[in-house]
Amino acid sequence: MTDVDIQVRVNGIARRASVPPRLILADFLRVNCGLTGTHLGCEHGVCGACSVLLDGEAVRACLIFAVQADGAEITTVEGLAEPDGELSVVQAAFRDHHGLQCGFCTPGFVVSVTAFLEENPKPTDDEIRDALSGNLCRCTGYQGIINAVRAAAEALAESGGSASRDATAKETE
Amino acid sequence: MKPATFEYHAPTSAEEAVGLLADLDDAKALAGGQSLVPMLALRLAVFENLVDLRRVDELRGIETRDGSVWIGAGTTQATIGRSESIGLNVPLLARATPLIGHLQIRSRGTIGGSIAHADASAEYPAVALALDVELDALSPRGRRTIPAAEFFTGTWSTELEEDELLTGITFPVWQGRAGFAVEEFARRHGDFAMAGACVAVGVGADGRIDRCAISLFGLGPCARRATEVETELIGTSPADSDADEIGRTAMAGLDSVPTDLHGSASYRKRVGAAMVARAWRRALQEAVGD
Amino acid sequence: MSGSQQATDTDRYAGRRVKRVEDARLLTGRGTFVDDVVRPGMLHVNFVRSPIARARITGIDISEALALDGVYAVLTAADINPYVHEQWFSLEGRHAPDTPRPPLAEGEVRHVGDPVAMIIAQDRYVAEDAAELVIVDYDPLPPVVDYATAFDSSELVHEAYPGNLVGQIGGRPMADLAPTFDNAPHVVSETYHQQAYCAMPMETRGIVTEWSPSDGTMTIWTATQSPHEVRGFCARLLAIPEHSVRVVMRDTGGGFGQKVLPLREDMCLMIAATKVPAPLKWIEDRQEHLLAAGQARHEHGEARMAFDDDGRILAATIDHVQDAGAYPSPNPVGSGIAVGLIFPGPYRIPEGTFNSRFAFSNTSGRVAYRGPWQFESVARECLLDVAARQIGIDPVELRRKNMLRRDELPTANCNGMPYSDITPLETFEQALEILDYDAFRREQEQARAAGRYIGVGTCTYVEPTAGASALYGTEGATIRVEPSGKVNVYVAGGSCGNSLETTVIQLTADALGVDIADVSSIQGDTAVTPFGGGTGGSRSGPMTAGAVNQTATELRGRILALAAHLLGGVPVDEVEFTRGVASVKGSPEKQVTLAEIADTAYFKSGSLPAELSVGLEVSGRFRAQHLMLWANATHVCTCEVDIVTGEVKLLRYIVSEDCGPMINPNVVEGQIFGGTVQGIGGALYEELAYDDAGNPVTTTFMDYLLPTAAEVPTIELGHVETPSIGPGGYKGVGEGGAIGAPPAVINAVADALAPFGVRISRLPLTPATIVNLLEEAAQRGAAGAAAAAGAARTAVAG
Ligand SMILES: Cc1cc2nc3c(=O)[nH]c(=O)nc-3n(C[C@H](O)[C@H](O)[C@H](O)COP(=O)(O)OP(=O)(O)OC[C@H]3O[C@@H](n4cnc5c(N)ncnc54)[C@H](O)[C@@H]3O)c2cc1C
Ligand code: FES
Ligand code: FES
Repeated sequence: MTDVDIQVRVNGIARRASVPPRLILADFLRVNCGLTGTHLGCEHGVCGACSVLLDGEAVRACLIFAVQADGAEITTVEGLAEPDGELSVVQAAFRDHHGLQCGFCTPGFVVSVTAFLEENPKPTDDEIRDALSGNLCRCTGYQGIINAVRAAAEALAESGGSASRDATAKETE
Repeated sequence: MKPATFEYHAPTSAEEAVGLLADLDDAKALAGGQSLVPMLALRLAVFENLVDLRRVDELRGIETRDGSVWIGAGTTQATIGRSESIGLNVPLLARATPLIGHLQIRSRGTIGGSIAHADASAEYPAVALALDVELDALSPRGRRTIPAAEFFTGTWSTELEEDELLTGITFPVWQGRAGFAVEEFARRHGDFAMAGACVAVGVGADGRIDRCAISLFGLGPCARRATEVETELIGTSPADSDADEIGRTAMAGLDSVPTDLHGSASYRKRVGAAMVARAWRRALQEAVGD
Repeated sequence: MSGSQQATDTDRYAGRRVKRVEDARLLTGRGTFVDDVVRPGMLHVNFVRSPIARARITGIDISEALALDGVYAVLTAADINPYVHEQWFSLEGRHAPDTPRPPLAEGEVRHVGDPVAMIIAQDRYVAEDAAELVIVDYDPLPPVVDYATAFDSSELVHEAYPGNLVGQIGGRPMADLAPTFDNAPHVVSETYHQQAYCAMPMETRGIVTEWSPSDGTMTIWTATQSPHEVRGFCARLLAIPEHSVRVVMRDTGGGFGQKVLPLREDMCLMIAATKVPAPLKWIEDRQEHLLAAGQARHEHGEARMAFDDDGRILAATIDHVQDAGAYPSPNPVGSGIAVGLIFPGPYRIPEGTFNSRFAFSNTSGRVAYRGPWQFESVARECLLDVAARQIGIDPVELRRKNMLRRDELPTANCNGMPYSDITPLETFEQALEILDYDAFRREQEQARAAGRYIGVGTCTYVEPTAGASALYGTEGATIRVEPSGKVNVYVAGGSCGNSLETTVIQLTADALGVDIADVSSIQGDTAVTPFGGGTGGSRSGPMTAGAVNQTATELRGRILALAAHLLGGVPVDEVEFTRGVASVKGSPEKQVTLAEIADTAYFKSGSLPAELSVGLEVSGRFRAQHLMLWANATHVCTCEVDIVTGEVKLLRYIVSEDCGPMINPNVVEGQIFGGTVQGIGGALYEELAYDDAGNPVTTTFMDYLLPTAAEVPTIELGHVETPSIGPGGYKGVGEGGAIGAPPAVINAVADALAPFGVRISRLPLTPATIVNLLEEAAQRGAAGAAAAAGAARTAVAG
C-alpha cells in the first residue's frame, strides 16, 4: 500500500500529509488533524454524524477517502463558530431551541444544516424534515432540531447573513 | 469497520483510466463512492486497486444538444438536482433525484455510479430505462454506445466490461404533450425503494397516447420495463385508461421479485402495482393537462 | 397544581428554561467522547467474533494474525478469562443470582458476534486486517434461536440451566382467579409478541484502559452512564483496591440503559491492559453494536382481563415470557418482575396476578433499555382497546370508567405496588382535550366514508422512578465555594445527554443563593466526585436534587454565619443572602459579597472566631426517604394507514405527563420527545431480527431502521404537576416516553383498521405486516361470510 501525499485546507488551515489510500477522511480529520468534532456513528453512510463541508457541500466524511479530498477546502464543525468563540447562527439556534442533548449527532446536524440553509434559505417545514432525514439523532426526537433550523432560517433572513462564514473571509484572517 | 488496503490511482483522462482498469489486477473504478465505500468499509468488497475518476474532467458536465441532453457520468446527483436545463428537458430525471438518499449522499454520488452500480432499487437506472437513454462507454478497445434496454443484465450487473467506463448518458428530450412521474415506496424517507415506478407518457395530436414508458425498480434483479402494458396502452385514449388495472397488469408475470425482512415478493408486487397506478395518474394528468 | 407555584417562582432557576452549559462545547466540536481520548503509545483493539449462532470451538490459529505487521498481540479466552477475580455489578450486589458472563467465549460460542479473540494492534485498520487472519475452527451445534420455544428445546444455551430457564417469578397462582374469569360477563385476552429492539445510542460503546504497573493503578475512559459502577466492577474484576481505579467520562453519546453496566468487551480491555505495556482503546463499530451490544424488548405475554356488564375491570393477569439472549446483563429476572407488578397500570383492578419466565437463547444478550418493563403497557393498553371493541364501548369511556381518581390515592395495585402522587385521569383528560377527541371521531367517520383510514390510540401508564435500590438509594454532592467566590459542585454524573450539568448548577444556584453564572459542575470522574449510582432508572433529577439541596443547605448555613460576622456580628437570621450578596434585613446598603466571604473563609482564618468553620466546602449524602417516586403520563396518537401499502403516517402526537415540578422544562421535554420517538421506532420501524439459523439480518443502519426527522410528527405536550414525596417534589422523567409511545401508536393503527376487523398481536407494525393483517382479516371475513352464506343456504334448504 503506497502512501499518497495530499494537501487540503481544513477550517482555513493548510495541511499536508502522506496518507494510506484507505484512510477515511473522517479518520484523517479526527486522528491526523486532531479535529475530533467530526463523529463516527456508523461508518457506512447512514447516520450523518460524520458530515463535513467539502468545498462548501455537506458530505459524509466516512464515505470519502482522505486521498480523494486532495486539494479540497474542508470545513468541520470546529470551523463554524467565529474565532472569538461566538456561535454561528445555526449553532446558536441549536442551543436556543434545545436541539441537542448528548451532542454526539450534533456536529453532523450543524454542518448539514449550514449547507442546507446556504442552498435553501427559506425552507418549508417539509423541506426541513427532508433535509434532516440524512442525520440520525437518538436523543431529541428531532423536535428541538426542527425548531432550531426554522429559527436559524428566520435569523439569517433577518440579518441577511449566510449560514457559513464565507471562504474569502477565511482567507484574509 | 475499516476498509482493507488498496493502491490508489487518480488518472486525469478517461483513456488513462480504462488503461489502468485493464492493466492493473483486480481494479475497480471509484466515482462518488457512495455505494462502493460502504461495501469496502464493511469488507463486503475488496479490491487491490481503485481508480478514482475525480480528476477526469471529461466525465463531468451537462450539455443540451439537439433534441437531447448529455450528462457526463461523473456528474453528481446534486448537480443534476440543481440543473435548470434538466428540470426543463428531462423532468423525470429531475423528479427522481430528490428521492435518492439524502443531500449528503447526492453531493457525492454520481449518475454514472448509480447507473453502473445498477442497484435493483435505485432510481436512476429505472429513469434511464424508461427514457431509453444511450450510454456511452469507453474501453481500451474503443468507444461504443449501449442502448439502455441492453444495459442492465441482472443483479448489480451490466453490459459494461470490467475495464470499461461509462462516460456519459444521452437523454432524449420528449417533445409535445407529455407527462412524467416517479413514485416509490420506501420504509423511511431516503431509503432505497422497496418498489417504485417511473412513467413517461406522451399524447398525440389526436388526443391518444402515442408514447408510453413504464419502468419498475425494486421489483426484480434490476430495473425493468413493463413492455406489455406499454404496448397495450399505445393508441388508447387517456380517458379510457384504468390506472389500477395498469398497475396490476404491470405486475403480472413478474418473476424474481425480491423477498427480505422488509417485505415479501407478493407484498412488493402489491406496492409496485400501486406505485405504477399512482405514477400513471400523475404522468397522464400532466400530459393531458395544460 | 400545587407544585407550579414553586416552579414558576421568578427568583429561582429551577423551573426555568435555562440554556444548557453543555452546549457550547458540544456545538463547536469540543466535547470529549471516549473516542476523542488519545493516550501516549495507545494500541487499538478489535474482536474476532463468532459468525455462527452456536458452535464448539475446536481450534484457534492466531499465528498468521500475529505475524502481521503492526499487530502486537492476539489474545483468546485462555489469556483473559482466568484473570477474572470477582464479577458482579454494584447495581445488583454481590449476592444477587447472576448469569454467566465470560469475557471471551470459552469452548462454545453462543451467538453470532460472541467475542472469541482479541486483536491488539497499532490502529484499528490493522486490527481489522488481523481479525480476518485468525482462523477459528467451529463445530456447529443446533442453536436455540427462538426463545419462545426454548423451554421445550432439547438443546441448551448454557448447560447449567435446564430447559433454558433463567428464572421464573410470579404472583399468586393464576388458578386463584379462575372463578372470577369464569363468571365474568366479558373476558378479553390476547397474546402480544414484541420484537427485539434496543437503545441504539448514536455513540457506540467504547473504552480506553491504561494500566500503570509500577503503582498498580488503572485509569479508564469510557462511554458509561455510571463511572462508579465501572470503577467498582474493574477493581473487583482485577482484585485491586477501588481507589487504584479511576474512571473518567466527560461526554457520552447517549445511553438509554445500554451503558448502565460494563459488558464483556469492557472486561477484556480491563484485563488485557494489565498484560500489555500500552494503553488500549476499543471503539465498537456499528456492526459490532448491532451484533453484540445487546437486545431488549423481546418478549411476549398472554394478557387477560375480566369485565363486568358495565365494562368495569374485575381482574387482570399476564403470563409473560422474556428473551434473555445468551449473555444477559444484568440477570433479567430482577428487572423483568416489574412487567407483572405494573401490569395493572393506572386502573382500578380488584384482582390480578402475573407470571414471568425468562429464557436463554443463542442471540445477543438482553440489556437494560429505557423503561425495561415497558411490555406491561403494551399488553395492557392494547388489550383495553381490544376489550372496548369486543364489549362495544368507546375505548376512552372504558378507560374513564376504570382509571384511578385522585381521591382514591394513595393506593396499592392488586400486585402490591404502592401508588401515590399520580394523576392518570388528569393527564388522560388533558391529552384528549388537546386532541379534541370528539372532533377526531367525527373526522374519522367522514374519512372512512371517503375511503381514508385514520385512527386514534392512547396509552396511560404509571411509572416507578428513582427507585431506591441498594446502589440507587443515596446520592452525594460536594460543593466548594472557591476562594474567589466561584462555586464548583461535584456529583458522580454519568450524563449521556440528560443535561445533568445544567440541572445541577440550577439546583445549586438556587439552594445556595448565588448567581447561576458563578456555578460550575464537575462530573464523571471517580477521582474527584462523590460516589454515586450514575444515571439510570430515571433517578438523576430527584436524587441529585436531594444531594445538592442537602449539601447546599449546610454550606449556605456556613456562608450566612460568616456573613453575619462580617456584617458586624448581626444575628444570623437577620442576614439575607441572594445572588451571592449578603446584607442585613432592612438595611440593604450594608453588603458583603460571596467573594469577600470566601476570601475571609480561606485567607483570614486568624481573624475569625473559633466557632466559625474555615473554608467553604461541604460534602453531603442524601438518603432517599422513598421506595420509588411515581410518575405518570398519557400518550395520544393519531395516524392514517394507507391500506394499499400498509404505510402508517402519524398525524398528531400528544403527551401529557406529570413528573412533578420541572427543574428545566427544556430538559424534561427533551427527554419526553426523545423517549417518544424511540417508542415510535419500536412500534413501526426497529427490529433486531434473526433468521432461523440465528444469523442477525439487521447488521447495518440500512436494515435496523431508526426513525428520522421525516418520520416523526410534531409532538405536542401538556404538563400536570403534582409534587412527589421526594426532594423538591421532583419525579424522574427519563424513561417514560419510550414506554407510552408503542401502545399509543399500535392502538391508533388498530383503530384505523377497525373497520376491517384487524387484530394486532405481533410487532413491529411494518407496512408488510399491516398488509398481511389486512389480507388475513379479509380472508377471515370472506370465510366468515362464506360460512354465514353456507349457514343461510342450509337454513333455506332445511
Ligand atoms: C445512506 C445511503 C442511501 C442511499 N440511498 C439511495 C437511494 O435511495 N437511491 C439510490 O439510487 N441510491 C442510493 N444510494 C447510493 C448512491 O446513490 C450512490 O451514490 C450510487 O449508487 C453510486 O454512485 P457513486 O458515484 O457514489 O458510485 P461509486 O460508489 O463510486 O461506485 C459504484 C459502482 O459503480 C462503478 N462505477 C462508478 N462510476 C463508474 C463509471 N463511470 N463507469 C463504470 N463504472 C462506474 C464503481 O466501480 C462501483 O462498482 C444511497 C447511498 C447511501 C450511502
Ligand atoms: S459515520 Fe458517516 S454517515 Fe454514519
Ligand atoms: S443529541 Fe444525542 S444523538 Fe442527537
